[in-house]
Amino acid sequence: MSHWQTNFDRRRINGPEESFPPVYDEEEDQDVFEQQWKEGQPRLGRGPREIRPIYFRPGFISQANGSAYIETEKTKIACAVYGPRQSKSTTYNEKGKLNVEVKFTPFSCKRRRAPMRDAEDRPIATQIHQALLSSVRLELLPKSSIDIFVTIIENDGIEGCIAAGSIAASAALADAGIEMFGLVVSCSAAMVGKEIWLDPTEDEAKAATATFVCAGMPALGTITSLWQNGRLTPQESVQCLEACQERSTDIHLVVAHGLLESVDSSDG
Amino acid sequence: MSFSTLLPGQPIPVSRGPAPQLGGGTYQRDGQIRASVVGIPQFQGSTLSITRIRPNPPAPNSVILGTVTRLSPLQANISITVVDGVPLPAGEEFSGVIRVQDVRATEKDKVKIADCFHGGDVVKGVVISLGDARSYYVTTARNDLGVIFATSEAGAAMQPVSWQEMRCPKTGKIEKRKCAKPEGM
Repeated sequence: MSHWQTNFDRRRINGPEESFPPVYDEEEDQDVFEQQWKEGQPRLGRGPREIRPIYFRPGFISQANGSAYIETEKTKIACAVYGPRQSKSTTYNEKGKLNVEVKFTPFSCKRRRAPMRDAEDRPIATQIHQALLSSVRLELLPKSSIDIFVTIIENDGIEGCIAAGSIAASAALADAGIEMFGLVVSCSAAMVGKEIWLDPTEDEAKAATATFVCAGMPALGTITSLWQNGRLTPQESVQCLEACQERSTDIHLVVAHGLLESVDSSDG
Repeated sequence: MSFSTLLPGQPIPVSRGPAPQLGGGTYQRDGQIRASVVGIPQFQGSTLSITRIRPNPPAPNSVILGTVTRLSPLQANISITVVDGVPLPAGEEFSGVIRVQDVRATEKDKVKIADCFHGGDVVKGVVISLGDARSYYVTTARNDLGVIFATSEAGAAMQPVSWQEMRCPKTGKIEKRKCAKPEGM
């Protein structure tokens, strides 16, 4: 708990070197999932193919060219898009560059994270980048770069963050007016026992033998990226893919509704 | 035909007949015309496009306004701040360059950059090409292109006298610039 070496951050006012957490009464709903759910039991709180309700709102960051906020129960993600702006690279690029940067706020996870970027941000950024890459018309933006900044305000499972982050980033690109082939929508799944549970929380994903994130463009019926973690037979992978596809139309509806509403309110 | 707001990827309903020419904001895939941005499709003449008033990066033939940042005997570097009438967000300027052969249309080899631009001048130009990795190539070789605003040594805003000269209203001194022809003259 208290380390010998200090994590001294010169940019901030640091607390005392050695500190102890305050003592609370035993919290009742701590680790509800671990206490109540046992293997073989059905999912707690919702059906296996149900996803959590999504709150979505674009255009809430006025300084950025485009932005979007997405919230599904305990996953809260804000995304800002800047661009197209002059690329900093010294080489001539015929197509635009898409840069994705992910940042966790210190209060986003169960344990406080250091405010600097660390190794966990990079794979999430790579996955969001891959989900979006084939949807943006980069050939129309030579010498330019589009910078996407994803801030994870609350984190309830990495798969949920990647899925919600991809949705927010694609909607922010649409809000910025950047030309795309279609909106990207993403859904995550987990294999718990023999069941496929969609949109797993962090606890559910920990109890799973495999997790699965898939992103695609429902308007065109194409898939842009598939990530699988853990052990799945090929048939199970295909089942996960089909389960995610069923839900993507619903998610697309929420995003479409949010974007159209923001367009109407900005014109009026 | 009035359209409703479309999202990227949604097909644009077009009446049967010859396929319209596609402008910005639309694309075609598998014979189906689809929207590329959020907006309402409009017909401008025979071109179908979805436009949105938003800052765009410079493209060949776009009219730009820029500020001169650096001068050398062979070129003038400018910081492009307005593209096609839409100002770029602060801090997101593009960099452009006016080469000595693109300053004016006549007597290109006798151009002296110091007699055409000074640092801090606001220049109206047209993008020729994407240029190299660092800057876009811009030209002022037209009557309506060139310096539109400049400050004299005395610190006052100068008025254009001819296409080669500007006059300071405070001191009456003439300074040489490649001036743009004011509109409506």
